[in-house]
Amino acid sequence: MDASTQPALDVNLAHPARARRWMPALAAGLSLGQYARSLVHRMAFLSALLLLGIWALAGQGYFWPAWAWLGLGDLVLLDLAAGWAWRRPPGPVRRVACVWTVVGVAAVILIFTWLLTWLLAGARTFWPGWALLGLATAGSAYSLFALQDRVLVARGKRALRARVELLTRTRRQAVVAQAAELRRIERDLHDGAQARLVALTLQLGRAELRAEQPEVRELIKDAQREASHAIGELRDLARGIVPPLLADRGLVAAVESLAARYGLGTTIVADTRRPLAPAVESAAYFVIAEALTNTAKHAAAEHSWVRIGDGHRVLLVSVGDDGRGGAAAEGLGLAGLRARVEALDGQLRLASPPGGGTLIEVSLPCG
Amino acid sequence: MRVVIAEDLALLREGLVALLRENEIEVVAQAEDGPGLLRAIAGHDPDLAIVDVRLPPTYSDEGLLAAIEARRRRPQLGVLVLSQYVETAYASELIGENTAGIGYLLKERVGDVRAFIDALHRVAAGGTVLDRQVVTQLLAAPDARADALPRLTGREREVLELMAEGRSNSAIAESLVVTPGAVEKHITNLFAKLDLPACEEDHRRVLAVLAYLRVAPAAPAG
Repeated sequence: MDASTQPALDVNLAHPARARRWMPALAAGLSLGQYARSLVHRMAFLSALLLLGIWALAGQGYFWPAWAWLGLGDLVLLDLAAGWAWRRPPGPVRRVACVWTVVGVAAVILIFTWLLTWLLAGARTFWPGWALLGLATAGSAYSLFALQDRVLVARGKRALRARVELLTRTRRQAVVAQAAELRRIERDLHDGAQARLVALTLQLGRAELRAEQPEVRELIKDAQREASHAIGELRDLARGIVPPLLADRGLVAAVESLAARYGLGTTIVADTRRPLAPAVESAAYFVIAEALTNTAKHAAAEHSWVRIGDGHRVLLVSVGDDGRGGAAAEGLGLAGLRARVEALDGQLRLASPPGGGTLIEVSLPCG
Repeated sequence: MRVVIAEDLALLREGLVALLRENEIEVVAQAEDGPGLLRAIAGHDPDLAIVDVRLPPTYSDEGLLAAIEARRRRPQLGVLVLSQYVETAYASELIGENTAGIGYLLKERVGDVRAFIDALHRVAAGGTVLDRQVVTQLLAAPDARADALPRLTGREREVLELMAEGRSNSAIAESLVVTPGAVEKHITNLFAKLDLPACEEDHRRVLAVLAYLRVAPAAPAG
């Protein structure tokens, strides 16, 4: 006997040793019902053997025990099938299982009865055919009727899941495409409008040197100032799209430069090898930039750190400091960052208890 | 002065060449990418290389890397890097350990022809010229150690930015339309506020400012 069943036994019975001797199955942890059923099964088996012995002793002849076997076997089968049906979840599924149990057992009884009439009495026709067909039809009709809601709901769920997957995929594609497009615009600004404006200031500079009248020189200088403003505005625009260092050298270099500029002595641990989509790279960069800006402005921290690493199909970024904490989840530009991260199906978590430092953690799915 | 130019946009390259020739600077070679620049320098032995940061094929920092490599091969070569944006990280890398003969300017500075030509001569002569935007960027950072900087007046900031470009007192005065005496007064105040060692020579003064801004390593005392 399995030692692990001992405690249950002790609780249930006053005399465990006696119980073991007389009711080993019960002692093995079966319920009374299960024990009774197992007894019935055994008695059915023993009866079948007993009848076979009587038939053999009685001089054989017509093999009548087969009919008794059929009856006993049907009882056991019905019991097993009912047990199976009862283990289904309650509701329409269990009701359908019960119906099919009845149909199945009836079908088995019919087929075996026919088999015996064929073997023992030489029946010519397969007489249960119509009955079987009727049973199967009735079972199917009931199943359809009982389960139609579930079928419809399941179909609805499948459609919904497919739609969610489609929307997730297309949204991500849209965000990724948008980021790539923005980078292209930044390149175009750099090589196109900005370069032409620089060429313009250069030509204006050459013109200024040739101009003899002071008012002409002044006009040219004004024109140059306007061109310079335009260049500056384009530069700010391009920098807002993607900081040059990020575009040129990627996330880690851009973050290192940022931290150096802020003079926080930030520890940077970067361990990422996967190539990052521009959308993911930009989102990670702007989160880190915002977090470090907040640290420099508000935290009065002694230490700050940035960690960039690869998770399972995600980029993990965390920025923390040991400053005064108390950052509001929706303040300090965090709401915009959260929107940016969530557009990529990422997550942003902020922990900033008063006096307990600030920790921002972001996970960004990639690929 | 003999100059090579590496710039991939023909419009700008030709404009620059014309500008330099008008100012009696000899353009001995032109290149469109990093390797082309290194070949031109090896072949023509120029005094100065003018290099765009973004060059083919990657259009990222090829020009900068080529400029650093050119300096490694010829430490006495003056290098002026032009860019449409300034990155303090690039300024630091460019300066490295060898502060002599380095320039890093925004491209639009070519519009102020006299100041630009002046900067070229200073870099070729071993001076250091950093765009005022570098200073602006460094001062704009929400810096934890910025306790001294907020006390600078707007005028002092302007003077600091122009000093980073390596300009002399009279050039700063001209640019800000004030008297040289006023500039000297601003500089004295500035150095006192930032606790910098006073030095007369322009180049050493630039280095002191850059060291303070942590763009360049601190110069040895004396």
